[in-house]
Amino acid sequence: MGALLIAVLALCGVGVILPLTIEERRIPEIVAWLGSIASIVLLWFSAAALFAGAPFHATLWSIPSLATLTLSLDRLSALFLFISGLVLLPGSIFAGGNLRRYIGRYGLSTFSVPYFALFATIVLIPLSADAVSFLMLWELMSILIYLLVNYEDEADEHTRSGYLMLAVGEAGTLLIALGFIVLANNGSLEFIAMKASGATLGEDARWAVFLLAFFGFGVKAGLIPVNFWLPQAYTSAPAAFVPIFAGATLNLGLYGIVRLNGDLLPVSLVGSGLVALIIGSVTALLGILYATTQSDLKTLLAHSSIENAGIITAALGAGFVFIASGHPPIAAIAFAAAFYHMANHSIYKALLFFATGAVDSNVGTRNIDQLGALIKVMPFTALFFLVGALSIAALPPFNGFVSEWLTLQTMLQSAALASSGVKIVFALCGAILALTAALAVTCFVKAFAMSFLGMARSDEATQARSAQKSATAPMAFMAVLCFLLGVTPTYVIPVLDGAIAPIAEQARAADALVPPFFSGNVYHRELPPAFVADFHALGAEVGQTVIPGRGLVVLHRGGTANPVVFAMSTAYMAVVLALMLLAAYVVFRLIVARRRVVLRRTVWDGGIRSLLPEMTYTGTGFSNPVRVIFEAVFRPTTVEDSRETVGKHFRAAIRRTRGENHVLDRLVLNPIADGALWVSNGFARMHHGFLNAYVLYGLGALLVALLIARFS
Amino acid sequence: MPAELRELVQEAQARWTSRVGLSLDGADGTACQMECEPSELPEICNWLFSDRHYSFGGLVVEQRTRWELRYAFYGSEASWVHVVTYLSDAGDRFPSISGLVHAADWHEREAEDLFGLVFEGHPRLGDFVLHNDVWQDGVTPMRKTFDGRKPVTHRAPDLNWKPRRIVEETGAFAMPVGPVHSTATAPVYFQLETVGEDVIRAQPRLFYAYRGLEKIAEGRRADDVLLIAERISGTSAFAHSLALCQGVERLCHVEVPQRAASLRVFLAELERLRHHVAAIAGVCESTGLAVAAAHAAILEEDLLRISGSLTGHRYLFGLNAFGGLSTDFDDAACGRGAAAVAQVAEKLTVLQGMLSASSSFLDRLEEVGIVSFANARDFGLVGPIARASGLSRDLRKAQPYCGYDAIKFEVPQESEGDGYARLRLLFREAEQSARIVSAITRDLPAGRFRIPETDLRQGAALGWVEAPGGAALHWIRLGEEGRVERYRIITPSFANWHGFRLAAESFAFQDFPIILATFALSVHENDR
Amino acid sequence: MSQWVIRGLRTGVKSTRYPRVEETAAGTSPGLPVSTALSSDLAQSLVAHCPVDALHPSITGVDVSLRQCIHCFRCVRATNNPMDWKGGYEWATAASDRNEKGTRFGPAFSRSVHILVVDAGDCGACLNEVKQLNNPYYNMHRLGFFLTPTPRHADVLLVVGALTDHMRLPLRKAYDAMPTPKRVVAAGACALSGGIFGQSFMCAGGVGEFLPVDVEVPGNPPPPLAILHGLLVAVGRKPTAGSHHGPGGPAENGSG
Repeated sequence: MGALLIAVLALCGVGVILPLTIEERRIPEIVAWLGSIASIVLLWFSAAALFAGAPFHATLWSIPSLATLTLSLDRLSALFLFISGLVLLPGSIFAGGNLRRYIGRYGLSTFSVPYFALFATIVLIPLSADAVSFLMLWELMSILIYLLVNYEDEADEHTRSGYLMLAVGEAGTLLIALGFIVLANNGSLEFIAMKASGATLGEDARWAVFLLAFFGFGVKAGLIPVNFWLPQAYTSAPAAFVPIFAGATLNLGLYGIVRLNGDLLPVSLVGSGLVALIIGSVTALLGILYATTQSDLKTLLAHSSIENAGIITAALGAGFVFIASGHPPIAAIAFAAAFYHMANHSIYKALLFFATGAVDSNVGTRNIDQLGALIKVMPFTALFFLVGALSIAALPPFNGFVSEWLTLQTMLQSAALASSGVKIVFALCGAILALTAALAVTCFVKAFAMSFLGMARSDEATQARSAQKSATAPMAFMAVLCFLLGVTPTYVIPVLDGAIAPIAEQARAADALVPPFFSGNVYHRELPPAFVADFHALGAEVGQTVIPGRGLVVLHRGGTANPVVFAMSTAYMAVVLALMLLAAYVVFRLIVARRRVVLRRTVWDGGIRSLLPEMTYTGTGFSNPVRVIFEAVFRPTTVEDSRETVGKHFRAAIRRTRGENHVLDRLVLNPIADGALWVSNGFARMHHGFLNAYVLYGLGALLVALLIARFS
Repeated sequence: MPAELRELVQEAQARWTSRVGLSLDGADGTACQMECEPSELPEICNWLFSDRHYSFGGLVVEQRTRWELRYAFYGSEASWVHVVTYLSDAGDRFPSISGLVHAADWHEREAEDLFGLVFEGHPRLGDFVLHNDVWQDGVTPMRKTFDGRKPVTHRAPDLNWKPRRIVEETGAFAMPVGPVHSTATAPVYFQLETVGEDVIRAQPRLFYAYRGLEKIAEGRRADDVLLIAERISGTSAFAHSLALCQGVERLCHVEVPQRAASLRVFLAELERLRHHVAAIAGVCESTGLAVAAAHAAILEEDLLRISGSLTGHRYLFGLNAFGGLSTDFDDAACGRGAAAVAQVAEKLTVLQGMLSASSSFLDRLEEVGIVSFANARDFGLVGPIARASGLSRDLRKAQPYCGYDAIKFEVPQESEGDGYARLRLLFREAEQSARIVSAITRDLPAGRFRIPETDLRQGAALGWVEAPGGAALHWIRLGEEGRVERYRIITPSFANWHGFRLAAESFAFQDFPIILATFALSVHENDR
Repeated sequence: MSQWVIRGLRTGVKSTRYPRVEETAAGTSPGLPVSTALSSDLAQSLVAHCPVDALHPSITGVDVSLRQCIHCFRCVRATNNPMDWKGGYEWATAASDRNEKGTRFGPAFSRSVHILVVDAGDCGACLNEVKQLNNPYYNMHRLGFFLTPTPRHADVLLVVGALTDHMRLPLRKAYDAMPTPKRVVAAGACALSGGIFGQSFMCAGGVGEFLPVDVEVPGNPPPPLAILHGLLVAVGRKPTAGSHHGPGGPAENGSG
């Protein structure tokens, strides 16, 4: 095990050093090869722990009187590492291909050096088992991401969004550090010790740890109100990096929340679970609202990442509530939904970012209003984008459906809870998530249809080239994963169980969701024979006989009065869909096609001379109803509304520009910024405007805090 | 001579001493002709329109030995003012008055398209009657040198031709609607500029049904042109044929027999009632209120059958003749017709009551498609549309004909200018029409229904009626052997289509068909 | 909303029973002139009254070409020797001789039929009569006829109007956009011959020169029942009326 980890780190080390010594045009190959090999080793390493439970533990270096730096791999860490590996493998291949377009414009080693350093950091963060190494790696990750986001540094807005991200990231790190200090409770900063000391904490301290960790990690995870940096940073990040940004580093924020609030100090307060649930739901809704109205594909996907982070957090929050109220089996379902959705999001979001990157480099714009008809020039990209869009819009038989369905089902399990107040919160959050799911369909109908279908709205979109293999191959890989994860939930959930068990008081989602009762007659005694026979008739045990495993039906068992709480099978759904398509095709071939007359005509346009691209819906136009309906949220400000007229009534031009302040900027950031400005007037002299100094302040404050915690 | 006109003439004399030729015209001294140099034109028209609040009736262009442009204005009290200007045939440039009198906008565009006259200062010339994607520049069908009987060879169509767009906003696009759109609608193309949801600019492109009636009338016998007048707009055929008849009768100094005048009022109001009922049915249908739409449609068919069984023709074709009517009607038959009309009116009142109690229906109409009074005046809107915005202009009152001055009736008026105001106005006018119908049949004067033979003279005259849609003006110039030299048709739909965008813009897509229905515009009447 | 239901029920059934039973209500049709036996000089003076060459002297008197007749009533009102005038509305003729069975248009139109109406530049009367087909009196839905806004769903193209220059392209595009098999019904004198508008720089003088017209419905405007008859002829559910084409009409050589 150790050898595998060393191999990954060594490959990353080579990746950092080698590009500095070779010529520029070889760097893309290095990134692709080294990155994918390192990813494969990483997948091997994490799979060994995830599937086989091979443990790993290493003590690195003992800092006297502070902490012993240790690395440790449990199944929770392994899950995150495995997902990271799934993203990094195609991500590195895509990055290699995508980097070629920078040759001559930007130094490629300024990408590859932080890229591989970040690779190593992503591997090490889930492994670190003490607060000191964790925080140092966390800090390192922030800086490396900043370097990568600001890679195309000729554009000022990239630098600006990088700074914003760094500043918010530092604030988050500070919160996390404080959380660790409270949790350590004057004890050791190793996680094992913290887990022990946490058990003795009082309610106030538990609240403090929860809130500090939740919002501290929420910065990276993209939760409100600390996610305002995210859309800008994602938009600025180069196409080669942004899939990893969304697919791997966002998960680390969630990892932090799970590690602290699930593992080290399991949530015992219903209230803190509700905070997570509410924040998650609202994050999801705001995320999808803003996503729907974007016209830049990349920004749209960034807001959609916020939405998905919100859904995951809501599911986690629901899990916390069930744990705190003593329902570990239902909590296990919630955590399964959360982790499932996290894995799905990493995969389809990376896929969509690959496709967007390919569109950007081959068309030259990501503005949906200027795209259209790309399916004609980029058929494979269109196909894979469609798979990604169907997945993220939670349509079967793709993966997003399974996890969103589980999440919504979890919301309905609030009947098990005692407090009616909590039930109401669950009902409201469930409604919000359902609305989110509906809007997600609108959003991705827009993203796909307005970009790939219809008429090309610009010359660039007509003349685009087909995407390179280095882009389509990673997309294909991810698209296959989207489908596989969509139809095999009964195989995925037991794997997730390893990560769920420690945080759900050893309850197993697989027991609750995919019971092996269709074979071996083990559980038949618990269920009415007629019922089981029905399911046998439907073929629920097929999985057992055809392929090794647990059947293909996800089924939540209830009591004898209500044996099935919910059940579904995406695998059968996929089969039925395929059969229906096939049947339709056969019917068409056999019956209709025999006497058909094929007339090829252009789109019916009402009889005008010719239908021009400017006469078709734009992306902005498509989503404008959402903007109008949710005007209370968007609160558009009119920047310009002018009418140029000749005489009194002849209009020469109607010009309108609408501006928008993000609801968080309006309600949170701007008041804080105004207050801070007011306060800082007093401290104006202390400030001399160098960013480095501010970073130093942050680190200084961190060190001071740690020392105080150690010696007080 | 009305006091209003006398005062107007005095002021004009004082202002443009010796520069404007003033002459009084017409047997009754109710029309005044002001002749001026083209350069004076905008000022005089603006004075009449903006200061004196005269309505702009229309522009009549005639190519005689020289260009003759006649701007017809009418006041609220029996008075017509024609501002006339001349230009030698060699030149073809006039100052535009549209900047000051916006109601003249489309008249100038039409004249530019069809006569090739240039109105200097008009910002939007071209692509109006003749569509620019195939018609080449320089084809001027209304000029005397153009042979209207032969087809025209077009240039190769410009496939990339598109109407002008003026909305500059991120994501703006032009939604094309038509010319073949919806079920059984007249051909018109709308270019709705939008960024989704709200219509920012609604520009209709008309004249798909342009049949060149003014041109094909030239050289024909006057009574054949009467058949053309009936077919300007089949749904207000009687009004238009009446306008032409009155023009010719005015020219030839024919006094129509009392009985004919009364029967003409009877038929004109029957037609107005049918037109309004059809419009009401259209409004109900546009809001998806199927039962109400069906009821209104039943009433429309009832009225068509009343017309059909009384006159032989459901749309009142072939009835008007110079000097009266082409046939007489039995008094008893008229009485039966009026009784049937009264029944229809009764059911209409019930329908109105039910509609005004249907809140979901009213929600679609109230405060939707608003035309302000000022806009209605500036755009020279006419008929029910103008009256719903508080602009009370009705030629039956302002310039009475057919003995309307002796008939007691109201001209309803609303002030909100929204869709519901227009609907209420349709109901109220329909009620008035039904009343006139039954009042007039109660004591139809006896006597002849027609002057046997009308002696057609040479010369020109204006005939006017308040058609169901509003003011219709027909300028007829007869030459030798009773052949038509110039026939200018100014229709209410032409004026109201011009202002339609005022109502349609800045409302949502789903309101668009409703606003269109409340306008009850006729494409055929506009296109001619 | 219940008030509308009650109102609807209280109104009762208004629909005509045509085509099973002849419709006899007054005012449903203006009627048409029919060939009249007259002496030859009376015939000459009568023919002169017609503004659109719908009347032609024949050996026995005066023949009528209904494709031209515009219901001006001059041949009945302006003379002492009027033409014979006949009511009714079953005027539609199948002009096409592509189908040797004469009335049958094949099984493709035996079920519900969707109709695209194109106004190719009429005066609005024909179009209004087409609209009346949807009112409760005629209620074309009961016969399986539906108006559709898109040619993609249309089986029958119903054209009214004199075919103006500007409508040639939309009409052609609509016809081309229809799936096959399809039928074209031209309704109204203007669509058949140009009517009073004739042939000019803007009007083509009928759509027959431009599209293959299958069924012709004379009248100016043809009343709703005549249009309904035209549709029934077009789908083979009613026999075609006798030929209305006077001398020079395209169907001179054989059909009808």
